[in-house]
Amino acid sequence: MAVLTRARPRAGRRRAPGVRNRDGWWAAFFLAPQVTALAVFLVFPLGFAVVLAFMRWDGLGRKEWAGLDNFAAQLSDPEFGLAVWNTVKLALLTVPVGLALALLIALALNNVRGGSFYRVLYFMPVVTSSVAVALMWQIILAGDESGVLNNSLRSWFGLTPPDWLGDTGWVIVSIAVVTIWSSLGLNVVIFLAGLQTIPPQIVEAARMDGAGSLRIFRSVILPLLSPTIFFSTVVAVISSFQAFDQIYVLVRPEDNEGARTIVYQVYELGFKDFEFGMSSAAALILLALTLLVTLVQFAAQKRLVHYDS
Amino acid sequence: MKRALTVLGALALATTACSGSGGNVPGAGTGKGPVTVRWSTWGSAEDVKVYEKFTEDFQRRHPDIRLKLESVAKYEDYHPKLLTQLTSKTAPDVIFVGDDYIGKFVSSGVITPLDDKLAGPDSKSRPEDFFDGVYGGAKRDGKIYAVPNDTNPEVLWYDKKALKDAGITEDPATLNESGQWTMPKYLDMNAKLKAAGKAGSIFWNWYGSTYSMINGFGGKVWDGGKFVATTDTKAREALSTLAKGYQDKTFLSADTLPDSNGPSTQFLKHKAGFYAGGRWVVDSLRKGGELDDYDIVPFPSPTGDPMPGAVAASYLALNKDTKLPKEAFTFLTEFVGKEGQMLRLQGGGAVPSVKGAEQVVLAEGYPKHAQTFIDVRDTGFANYPEEVAVPGLTAAINEQLLKVWSGKVGFDQGMTELQQLVQSKLG
Repeated sequence: MAVLTRARPRAGRRRAPGVRNRDGWWAAFFLAPQVTALAVFLVFPLGFAVVLAFMRWDGLGRKEWAGLDNFAAQLSDPEFGLAVWNTVKLALLTVPVGLALALLIALALNNVRGGSFYRVLYFMPVVTSSVAVALMWQIILAGDESGVLNNSLRSWFGLTPPDWLGDTGWVIVSIAVVTIWSSLGLNVVIFLAGLQTIPPQIVEAARMDGAGSLRIFRSVILPLLSPTIFFSTVVAVISSFQAFDQIYVLVRPEDNEGARTIVYQVYELGFKDFEFGMSSAAALILLALTLLVTLVQFAAQKRLVHYDS
Repeated sequence: MKRALTVLGALALATTACSGSGGNVPGAGTGKGPVTVRWSTWGSAEDVKVYEKFTEDFQRRHPDIRLKLESVAKYEDYHPKLLTQLTSKTAPDVIFVGDDYIGKFVSSGVITPLDDKLAGPDSKSRPEDFFDGVYGGAKRDGKIYAVPNDTNPEVLWYDKKALKDAGITEDPATLNESGQWTMPKYLDMNAKLKAAGKAGSIFWNWYGSTYSMINGFGGKVWDGGKFVATTDTKAREALSTLAKGYQDKTFLSADTLPDSNGPSTQFLKHKAGFYAGGRWVVDSLRKGGELDDYDIVPFPSPTGDPMPGAVAASYLALNKDTKLPKEAFTFLTEFVGKEGQMLRLQGGGAVPSVKGAEQVVLAEGYPKHAQTFIDVRDTGFANYPEEVAVPGLTAAINEQLLKVWSGKVGFDQGMTELQQLVQSKLG
């Protein structure tokens, strides 16, 4: 008891100015590496990109002021419009389907024996290199005789399947399948963590009150899991807006415009066309779009997300 | 205080450990032992094997210089990497540059003018050793900024068996020799091949084929610094013929064929009469073809008279920021010099860009009219300087044309969009 009393901070205790200053310097000293790294690797590049969006620069020569020309050019460019539409389609396909599937699997794993084994199994694609994943799916989805899926569909069912990666209409669906497959594990683990925070007593009480499994899911689990679902939705939307590496390896959007996403547009403008101003403008428009969608999600969560247990 | 000093010491140690060996500047020599000249190109591990012999030979002759090749597997990924290296001043000493990017690198001043060096006593390749037409965008205001390291003149390979199966009795190369190899004759052969259930011609969707066809109709692509392919009557006729041909399958776009049944496979299976390509086609034919079935002919002209054909070229340039200008130039001049090219181009792949190395193409006697490669190179043209001055312009033109070829966009609309696209890229 005496120890506790001594450890409690004494109210109203004032420290000498010298001590305060010394603590401040130490704090600054220890924070300096982190702040410096943030400034060098985050704030400066972001600021540079913002400035570049208002310039003309080929990456090698002089920069020239362009005003809002880059934004105007991008907003009136049909390729940019196509990239936005493809990105939105990808988000609409991957986010609801991916999250619903992950939730179903998490619900199944929540009560299964050997859950750790399945968790590892589902999480494996997440820790696999995205390039390796893309190459593997390239072999599966190839439209010619080398495609595993199409070969099977032809020989087993006599079907005439489309060229999943070559067809402008189907390519975004194929990309969505690969994206869902590779991100499923992460969402499953997040949902499982969320499910394990739900007190079993509440579920038990609902069951004793005569609620069936579906009712328990709809009226107990879903509301209590809504903060987790909200978090996963925000992350999934942002990820789908930033999709690039898998698409680049899987399809190469210059060969199939159905796979052109905003980030590919940013890459092509900057590193293939050497138009870094235009590229930065496209990146800023993407940032604004992501911010807008996230704000809408945050506005919606006030009504849909329950933080009280 | 003691703890603070310990922390400071640890931080200092960590900083030192993370900083690497400060003197190991890429490409910089220490004055002791050989220096390392870094050079970069594109190509798969198999592709870059052709440089091994040259590298061994070069290093044996120059024990004070080591060569370090930094290759990027795909052409599409090479220039983006090179751009970031040039911007961050970490680019190799000697760099390959594609013909669609050379203009930009020249105008931005990141590569060294070579006139004095090429004309100097240490040079193994004089400026006049290279044909003027293949300098393309590597020459600006009379100054040479890069040297074509080899070329691939675009010719029409033809399959004698496929032609015979289609009831074609005339031999294109013989017609060419007698001045009767005309565009109408060529299109007539394509129609017969189509009627026989074969494809007439297979083209890769790139300027070499497209602009050779425009030339064959007597049209112009660029005129007085302006892109006129969509407005020049004859050029438009050529493009329209191509579009119709692609849509009724008289022509096949190699870019859209599946890997398992690609252009080489179709050509080897006698499913097409003509295949537009360079000397590299020899490699494909050797892998499974009856070599005697194939020969080459230039793209046809309107009247049968010889005309300039497109020549694909890649260039070798000196990084302006190289710390080893002398050693880097030694490598460059020997690489593009007569002996260097002969060593690299034995057996196929490309055609020397330097005068006097022709025997590497002619010695094997294959194809029968191998001299055509040399003729097209000597009178041919690399992509237009106006076009290569804008990075991505050639790719954008090809992309737009592919939409027209595939019928995704109607011909007239496609031409209007193409003109707008070029104008917007030219600014």
